[in-house]
Amino acid sequence: MVAGIRYEKLLQECLKEELRIVNSGMPQSRKKLSELLCEARPYVPCHDGSKHFFKKQEIAYLAALLDASEREALLLPVIIMLEVGRGTMLIPCGEGVVEEKIISHVLGMPAACDAGIIRLYRPQLAVIRKKLKTTTQYAFSHSSGVVGV
Amino acid sequence: MSQQILKVRPTKIELVNLKRRLSLSERVQKIVKDRLSILTMEFLQAAREAVEAREKLMKDFDAAYKALSVASGYHGYIALEKEMVAAGTGLKVDSSWRNIAGVRVPSFEMEEGKKEGRAYSMVDTSSLVDEAGRLFEECLKSVAGLAEAQRSLELLGMEINRSKRTANALEHIIIPGLRVTISYLKMKFEERDREEKGRLKRVKMLVARE
Repeated sequence: MVAGIRYEKLLQECLKEELRIVNSGMPQSRKKLSELLCEARPYVPCHDGSKHFFKKQEIAYLAALLDASEREALLLPVIIMLEVGRGTMLIPCGEGVVEEKIISHVLGMPAACDAGIIRLYRPQLAVIRKKLKTTTQYAFSHSSGVVGV
Repeated sequence: MSQQILKVRPTKIELVNLKRRLSLSERVQKIVKDRLSILTMEFLQAAREAVEAREKLMKDFDAAYKALSVASGYHGYIALEKEMVAAGTGLKVDSSWRNIAGVRVPSFEMEEGKKEGRAYSMVDTSSLVDEAGRLFEECLKSVAGLAEAQRSLELLGMEINRSKRTANALEHIIIPGLRVTISYLKMKFEERDREEKGRLKRVKMLVARE
């Protein structure tokens, strides 16, 4: 019985660890593109204490797409929300003008921002992740909020 | 496959605990499955990139060695070696980490600072040596790209294996085990209720007879 309880406890810990791992790379705070352009080694701190570094090439690519005011408005990394169990992928953005512009450019087709959300299909996600590896970040969300954070 | 009933005390508190555990397990299962699909997508992309990087590396090295061979043919091995011994390169590789759905993968980037002049004599060499040098610098970039793709591939592969094991354990052992135990406890409580009802009826009859 004691071994069983110990096993159960261990199992619970493992499951909780899984929840913690999925969003461990979520940034504590996001930085403006204009700020990142000035940094020698651009990065943002993550929730687990690690650092998420951006590739300078990607930042330069984004900077080339946007004008000065848009560089001030764009917060990086761009969060791609995955709704657990539903399989939908969203990019939450406030007014969404800058994000919409970037996503449209990367995809080569118009991406509509509806009520502060850009909806993505799986093939589109692959294209975005191929071009913006470090400037986008996954977040697994549940109906009760972002998982494990 | 018949599922094993967990060894628990048949109490209502245990039933509540088991139900809570089941809901947590189901939630984790959904997350693990979604994460697995994302990791698989990233893995396939990393595999494609690794293949491309390898092909590019082979092409770059091919071109670089051809240029070196032409340069060495023109200047002679000894003279070229004498120039190359003194030549150093100021190339730097920035190594950092990025996070893909909880997997930390390395990221390498060649630093492209201002290029100083080549360290060999410009009088004793020709543009053929410059061309060979430039092509070998390209090779270094390709090596960095391949290293990143290859290591990402390995790390993602390991994480996919681990996640698959977790998903399978949840799907085939943990969740069915919990469901079977919950239904066993429910049946046990129903049986207890029926016994209790029977006992009460019997007591009522005895009281009525007296």
